[in-house]
Amino acid sequence: MNAIVVLLIGGVAIALGYGWYAKTINRSVIQPDDKKATPAKMYMDGVDFTPANRNVLFGYQFKSIAALGPITGPIVAVQWGWLPALLWIILGTFFIGWVQDYSSIMLGVREEGQTFGALSYRFISPRARSILLTFIYFYLLLIMAAFGKIVGYDLMTNPAVPLGVLLVIGVGLLAGQMTYKWKMDIILVSVLTVVLAFVGIWLSTLTPVKGFFNNVINGAIVTTAADGTSTTTYATVFGSVTQPQFIWSLVVLVICYFGAVLPIWRWAQPINYVAFWIVFLGILAGTIGLLVWHPAFPTDFPAFTNWGGNLCAAADCSKVDPKLLPNLLALGPLWPILFVTIACGAISGWHSLVSSSGTARQLEKESDGLYVGGGAMFLEMFLAVLSLLTAVVGVGVTKGFVGYVNMIAQAKNAGVFAVGLSEMMAKIGIPTSFGLPYGSVFLTLMGLTIMYLVVRFMRVASAEFMGDRVPLFKNTTFGTIIALLLSALLIYTGFWARIWVLFGAANQLMASFIFMFVTTVAALLMTAYNVFKQVLTTPNLPIDKVIGNWLAGLIAIYLVIAALILAWDAFKAFQRLRVGEPVKA
Amino acid sequence: MLTVKYLDSFRTLSHRLRCLIRAFGAMIYGATVYEMVRDLRKERAQRERLFVLAIFGDLLGVPILPPYYALRLLPYVVPDITGWRRSMLRERDLTDLCDQEIT
Repeated sequence: MNAIVVLLIGGVAIALGYGWYAKTINRSVIQPDDKKATPAKMYMDGVDFTPANRNVLFGYQFKSIAALGPITGPIVAVQWGWLPALLWIILGTFFIGWVQDYSSIMLGVREEGQTFGALSYRFISPRARSILLTFIYFYLLLIMAAFGKIVGYDLMTNPAVPLGVLLVIGVGLLAGQMTYKWKMDIILVSVLTVVLAFVGIWLSTLTPVKGFFNNVINGAIVTTAADGTSTTTYATVFGSVTQPQFIWSLVVLVICYFGAVLPIWRWAQPINYVAFWIVFLGILAGTIGLLVWHPAFPTDFPAFTNWGGNLCAAADCSKVDPKLLPNLLALGPLWPILFVTIACGAISGWHSLVSSSGTARQLEKESDGLYVGGGAMFLEMFLAVLSLLTAVVGVGVTKGFVGYVNMIAQAKNAGVFAVGLSEMMAKIGIPTSFGLPYGSVFLTLMGLTIMYLVVRFMRVASAEFMGDRVPLFKNTTFGTIIALLLSALLIYTGFWARIWVLFGAANQLMASFIFMFVTTVAALLMTAYNVFKQVLTTPNLPIDKVIGNWLAGLIAIYLVIAALILAWDAFKAFQRLRVGEPVKA
Repeated sequence: MLTVKYLDSFRTLSHRLRCLIRAFGAMIYGATVYEMVRDLRKERAQRERLFVLAIFGDLLGVPILPPYYALRLLPYVVPDITGWRRSMLRERDLTDLCDQEIT
């Protein structure tokens, strides 16, 4: 199989899915009517409700739904082999993903631009909204843990990354100052800051810089054995947490703190703007590189490993450092775990919230909905396929399947993407010495730019839940610190792979159709069981791991209970509506 | 005749190309600057809402005795009163904030 064939399959899926299937369903089920006034037109206030051009909305919707999920999910899912992952990305999007996004937009449009909180209150029950809101809080916490670990690990293991990330953040702040305070032209600001950001990433690849971060900041201790092999160790700060883990997680939390408390135009918005160009240019270069390269799939990279996703049963793990073997967690059986691992690459519950509260209020006419909602989801599918290829051909061709297994054992999930992207970019003349740190900075920025928005949400959420009972929660700093402390607990102590599955399951649970409901509840229960089992049966597990994983397991149990209550209320509401009873206020 | 036909097809092609470039430009705008513009609009609207609430809060039942100067501002506020009232009374919760990327 050639990588181009996979891209072509993706293209055909889009052509068939969007061009035929979606349009047929649209005509027969949703039946958009351009004569109906959309909320954007009815309640036009120039702020929340504003009609926007469909192409502008497409870009807005795509940026709102595509982040770290479709990139990391497929890379982790390769543990079951590339074929199941590819099939689920394509079929999941084809049959469920676009339907979920598009119908959420149309539900918002037809219900006067109401969000899912108000809709669940109105159509299901008052309890449903409360559950949804608490559900969102725990979901956000899992995102912080899953992304925080990726970002923290990227910063601490690759000394060529931190300076690049810090300089891009600095350049982002400069972009904000230039745009809002100095009133400079946005095109000039963009060109200047993006060039500066690239210079920053290049500076971070210089040997003295890398040495400084590795030896001084991370405190690496290199010991050479009698046979000449050298090993690098780091001092531990507490439990199993090492100095670089501690320092870089702290840096990440400080960045999140500023992102959560400063005005959005001062911190989050300009940094996200500069980061977007880094990400966009990286994806563009990677795609062109892949087309130029058009490699065949490596023969040793299995299409299907085994039902349990056990990498050591599929590859020779004798070359993996025995100390790292516990990282090669068999995540669980293909069903249900694969379906939640890929997360937003195929289906995402968060998309429904974005679609109803953002896009639905800006749609100029109903017929634009499919192009915006469905089209953006199909494009995200393409991004997920590209990400899958970074693992299978980017890493597979150069390092083989064992190389992939080795990187997963070293918890370098982000590294897989960085290596893959750098190999693709190398084919259009960008050296890997630059491409590798660039790929890592790319991924770190994607995680970071989301994390401080998540903390912002968590701060607002805690003020809303607790503010009336404990007024201290209305304090911005207090709410932010509580959110950061909870996140830090999971970042420092949880098993990343399990946290990722929990995050994916919580995400999919919000997108639950019958199949996905059963799948996600099963995935949550299975992962909770695995987490508890691992904590209870692993001898001499450090206390921090015990605490973090108990917390993760309990969150999973809560999510299952919340989902069951929601499902019961939804069933009752459905029965009520079917017999024509009025909706309870 | 043939030249005119070629010229027409060239014009159609160049028109389509221009449309495509314009659409791509709009998408990039939507993914980048549009969100900044929206955020700024939101911030400005929040201040305006607060200002109108402080001056004309009695329209929503807030016990404010309108000062003399409120009457002088009234003509400027009248066109926006319906939108302002709807916006102030619209029920909001956490899901209202969920229009940003986080996954």
